[in-house]
Amino acid sequence: MDVSLAPRPVSRVAAPRTALGTLRQILFYLLLTAFALAWMVPFIWMVSTALKPEPEIYLFPPKLIPSTLVWANFVKAMKAAAFPIYFRNSLVQAVVHTVASVFFGAMAGYAFARLKFRGHKPMFLLLLAKMMVPSQVTLIPLFLLCKNMPLFGGNDMLGHGGTGWLNSWWGLLVPGAISAYSIFMFRQFFQSLPRELEEAARIDGASEWRIFWGIMLPQATPAVATLSIFAFQSGWNSFLWPLVITTKDQMRTIQIGLTVFRQDFNVQWAYLMAATTLATIPMILIFLFGQRYFVKGITMTGMKG
Amino acid sequence: MAVATAKGKPRYRYQGMERTKQRAGLLFVAPALLHFLIFTSIPVFVAVGISFTNYSPLGGGKFIGIQNYIKMISDELFWTALKNTLVYSFWTVPVTMALALFLALILNRKLRALAWYRAAFYMPQVTATVAIAVVWMWMFNNQFGVINWVLEGMGLKAVEWLTSPTWAMPAIVIMSVWRGLGGTMVIFLAAQQGIPDYLYEAARIDGANDRQIFWRITLPLLAPATFFLLVTGLIGSFQVFDSIYVMTGGGPSHATTTIAHQIYEQAFQFTKMGYASAEAVVLTIVVFIITVINMKYVKSDADYV
Repeated sequence: MDVSLAPRPVSRVAAPRTALGTLRQILFYLLLTAFALAWMVPFIWMVSTALKPEPEIYLFPPKLIPSTLVWANFVKAMKAAAFPIYFRNSLVQAVVHTVASVFFGAMAGYAFARLKFRGHKPMFLLLLAKMMVPSQVTLIPLFLLCKNMPLFGGNDMLGHGGTGWLNSWWGLLVPGAISAYSIFMFRQFFQSLPRELEEAARIDGASEWRIFWGIMLPQATPAVATLSIFAFQSGWNSFLWPLVITTKDQMRTIQIGLTVFRQDFNVQWAYLMAATTLATIPMILIFLFGQRYFVKGITMTGMKG
Repeated sequence: MAVATAKGKPRYRYQGMERTKQRAGLLFVAPALLHFLIFTSIPVFVAVGISFTNYSPLGGGKFIGIQNYIKMISDELFWTALKNTLVYSFWTVPVTMALALFLALILNRKLRALAWYRAAFYMPQVTATVAIAVVWMWMFNNQFGVINWVLEGMGLKAVEWLTSPTWAMPAIVIMSVWRGLGGTMVIFLAAQQGIPDYLYEAARIDGANDRQIFWRITLPLLAPATFFLLVTGLIGSFQVFDSIYVMTGGGPSHATTTIAHQIYEQAFQFTKMGYASAEAVVLTIVVFIITVINMKYVKSDADYV
């Protein structure tokens, strides 16, 4: 599945041969660049505010470039709330979600694609159904399930008396650990691989696990990369579930931390923007280095060429 | 395989292999399936169950039939939320798609630095809605916001964005369009590249001009992608929550509260989990209907391509 976005030559955009053509080309690039830059304004503004000395934040008309770059804002922001803890929690959440989603997703996706076991059709439908269910509808039952999880967080055998999985790693990580999307994508990918190697290994008497782990999964590296990136993104950016399952600083993730910081303090914009910058940097870096996987993934989602 | 079954011993071996494949398949999907059963399927049924009760974590839990649903009909807040959700979708989805299509059309040529332009437009998509919503709050700030500054620079009047019932929703729509543009554009780009070259060549030979080519070839062949984007866009916009929660909290005076936001608020702020579940069930049904229409269309579309 080649989804590279290399520009396709179309005759109507042949290189300009006239002076007018060149002028039009330059104008085109100027407009496009201006538009792209305008699209970057929120990021530029975020970083600019994060680096400003306090008085310059409340200037109108605003100043784009701070007179001095106050890097200390970042340090102070980190101390103004439990941001280091939020970062740690987000990192754990994103990593666990990535590992679980990719590992179990590849396993199940492979089985759905290649091991036509009995009942694979209804099971796959169940999976598709999961992708349709809005997270709001399972939100309340999941919350109650976690709160009443037996024998956790001081609960008795029947799930009463304590807080269950609320404010715990279990509650934060387990309910959203595996994504149906990832299974679906792995299934698509494994279906596109040739069968020869797999069959040969089977004839040679390799175990099914060895065929999956040793032969098929190594061929799926592009899919693993793409889906790891997407899983990390959804883990790092997730909001609604951490919002209801965590109430203590100790378990809050960065996205929740940002909201709380905004509400709790008499908004200190420089610190808030500094923290926001730090919260967005991991994803931006991953994006810049893995751009082609993002593009591959997003086109795989719906369009198959 | 037919050869293998012709003789005695290999046939036996083949059957043994089939059996291991069956067992392995089940084992491979078991973790994911179990996870879905516990954390999605059962919760959906529980949600439907709760929607027929007046359950609240503080007490209650009596079966009250369809009273929650009846209450919804006369609940002004529910209708406001529904109206807001529709207004949000009505603006966000088409505007994002139109802009994205336009961009995809101009980017689909031999372009130097295509990757950079694409990255610029796609970057908002990788960052967390929450983090980016905080940035936009700062840009929409009445007194010191960069947006009002630009408006005044253009000779327009400054606007009270997030604090006025008139402008709060447009502000959220603007942010959503900004965030969603890149992903939509990438899909349009991929779909354009899926249009076979010979169609363009044939049209050229027949003497078609640029405009004819656009209306007769490009646009009709982008129809599946357009429909896909419309449907996924609608499903996403019906569930809008993060940006609302962060930027306005549904206010001012319920001007931006949406269905998803109402579900959260009813359940976790007013602890009316029965009623919130009923709302969630309604949301699910709406999303389900859109998805089914989508699947029907995509199926009939398959023979077309």
